[in-house]
Amino acid sequence: MKTTRRDFLKVGATIAGVASSVSAAREAVFAAASTAEALPSTTTKGDMLYRNLGHTGAQVSALGVGGHHLGDLSNVDDAIRLVHEAIDAGVTFFDNCWEYYNGKTENILGRALKGRRNKVFLMTKVCTHGRSGELALQMLDESLRRLQTDHLDLWQIHGIVYDNDPELAYAKGGVLEAFDRAKKEGKTRFVGFTGHKDPAFHLKMLELGYPFDSVQMPLNPFDASFHSFEKQVLPEVNRRGMAPLGMKSMGGTAWAIKAGVVKGEELLRYAMSLPVATTICGMDSLDVLHQNLSVVRGFTPMTDGEMEALRLRCAATAADGRYEPYKVSLRYDNPITRLPHGFPVDETQREVKEMLEKGDAPWLAP
Amino acid sequence: MAEHYQPSGRSEVIPQIDRRRFLQAGLVATGTVIGAPILQSSMAAAAAPAAATNTSSDQIPRRILGKTGEQVSIIGLGGYHLGTMQSLDDAVRLVQEAVDAGVTFFDNAWEYNDHRSEEWMGRALQGRRDKVFLMTKVCTHGRDKNVAMQQLEESLKRLRTDHLDLWQIHEVIYENDPDLHFAKGGVIEALDEAKKQGKVRFVGFTGHKNPSIHLKMLAHNYPFDTVQMPLNCFDGTYRSFEQQVLPELERRGIAALGMKSLGGDGQPILHGVVGPEEALRYAMSLPVATTISGMDSLSVLHQNLAIARDFKPMTAQEMQRLRDRCKSFAADGHLELYKSTKRYDGGVGREQHGYPPPEQLPL
Repeated sequence: MKTTRRDFLKVGATIAGVASSVSAAREAVFAAASTAEALPSTTTKGDMLYRNLGHTGAQVSALGVGGHHLGDLSNVDDAIRLVHEAIDAGVTFFDNCWEYYNGKTENILGRALKGRRNKVFLMTKVCTHGRSGELALQMLDESLRRLQTDHLDLWQIHGIVYDNDPELAYAKGGVLEAFDRAKKEGKTRFVGFTGHKDPAFHLKMLELGYPFDSVQMPLNPFDASFHSFEKQVLPEVNRRGMAPLGMKSMGGTAWAIKAGVVKGEELLRYAMSLPVATTICGMDSLDVLHQNLSVVRGFTPMTDGEMEALRLRCAATAADGRYEPYKVSLRYDNPITRLPHGFPVDETQREVKEMLEKGDAPWLAP
Repeated sequence: MAEHYQPSGRSEVIPQIDRRRFLQAGLVATGTVIGAPILQSSMAAAAAPAAATNTSSDQIPRRILGKTGEQVSIIGLGGYHLGTMQSLDDAVRLVQEAVDAGVTFFDNAWEYNDHRSEEWMGRALQGRRDKVFLMTKVCTHGRDKNVAMQQLEESLKRLRTDHLDLWQIHEVIYENDPDLHFAKGGVIEALDEAKKQGKVRFVGFTGHKNPSIHLKMLAHNYPFDTVQMPLNCFDGTYRSFEQQVLPELERRGIAALGMKSLGGDGQPILHGVVGPEEALRYAMSLPVATTISGMDSLSVLHQNLAIARDFKPMTAQEMQRLRDRCKSFAADGHLELYKSTKRYDGGVGREQHGYPPPEQLPL
């Protein structure tokens, strides 16, 4: 019973199909007075919205293309077509990660961006998971090679998901020293960190004081009442002038949508109505891309009342974490995230299955 | 490819190893564990466990069970592993040897191994029921009192007895479990009724996930007689029941029941971080009434019996040293998978809470 992102967007499509044809005024700036916290300064070009990325001076598309799902597509050509269509529709924010599918998704994106590198804001993530800054720099060079570029726009620490990750990231000789060096050498413009597990770990990363440019986290109406990044982390990130990047707007799975609790379109609208620079969405088909673009095209922020009503509708099932498996299980911890921490690998994970099929599973190495 | 990846050698691919294998591994690592000299010290562990009796050298010591006036053996036989044994005959032999050796505390749960654990324990205890303190657990996972009372009847029938000594709410591990249990018409009302009917003498609850959920249960001030939780030298520094829940139980005079003294699946022992003898000794040195241990072979039983018979509490210093030694291994939770993953969350509870079954979400 494998659910895919495609399934739930189909469910949502019935609603979103009637996308508003109100084409937003060019270069319009949203009056965001209705949202609890002001949305970042926003501009519109064509059908795409662009928001300020914290205090960096950069602007990025309010919809980002998630890197992991590029590896879920059945063939590389389809993945490349998806990237090209997204760029043509005005998407600039592209997410990726050194460890996704053992590098496959960085390779795909690198091929897709040939000749288009200067049209996008390119992010990837480093996967030391507590190991050294030296290893981080090796990973950076490898990411640059795969992505066929000489610099990243944003380089983030991937997966702050275990209790001691902040301490390890800040350790002498750790990944933060690699951040300083990479910035100095011009290999990345900005730096940040990501994680989907516990707001406490994010807060610890912030308290320890490194001047991150961005912080990525799960944001959706279930999160709002269960170990909430929205309540605990988002205000703190904005207070510090860093750029919040939202992910898992659908809860990482289609479970809540399949159960009829919510619709895909309202989940994406909710996430985009929060004060974030962008919402990163995994898209494993052109249908899903088109679906997401239609939400952006018709986008007006939800009112406070609408957001509160949606949170209330989700609260009962949010209370035991069932629709946020990334917080309460290892399902969303990539195999290479787990290994340095000694957590077991899960053969029911799609990525693990593919690595085993290819005989490319590092945990089986002698 | 992942050429930079340095395998740590600490990982394991599911399916999990069996308890027998790690105990053997642990024995090799720690050498002659039995009869190792144990320091006598006036610095007995903080808040020394309730006075042990029955201390003659060939007996299993016993301790007072909170305010109940009962005494139970310091080692308890876990019901889950009993139902994983090869045959009924093996299970009967294990239980009967344990009873004959002086183990009195017997653990079980309505949902273990599709009811086989209760069935087999019931068969094994025929003619020995009055020698043991029999506990099982109710598995409503948020459902109502009627479900609980029906499960009680089924447990009594399978266990071939007319009463339980202790009936506990199983697996309080989801954040909204305390609210659901204490809701009107919930399982707490079943605990009251079962006591009134004389079908259970004492009541409690169990859980392996997070101290904050246990504390939420206690905040209702219901007169639980017992509370069961993971207690081991890793827990001491990671989402710690020892630090957060145990003192609260002492304050309230509720009996603490320890479990998962070896980290649930023995990984710490396989990796040589601790030996089984020191791990079990640590758990038994805490202020608990008993330490429930899963045993799926006579050799594991014999090893546990030997440790229990010889038991002298660790000193506070010894315990601190062991926690310090384990701390860096404990810090990310990979040696306490019941806290950090879904592996130990049973199928019945998952179903009630809308989670996929174990085969679809093993971790």
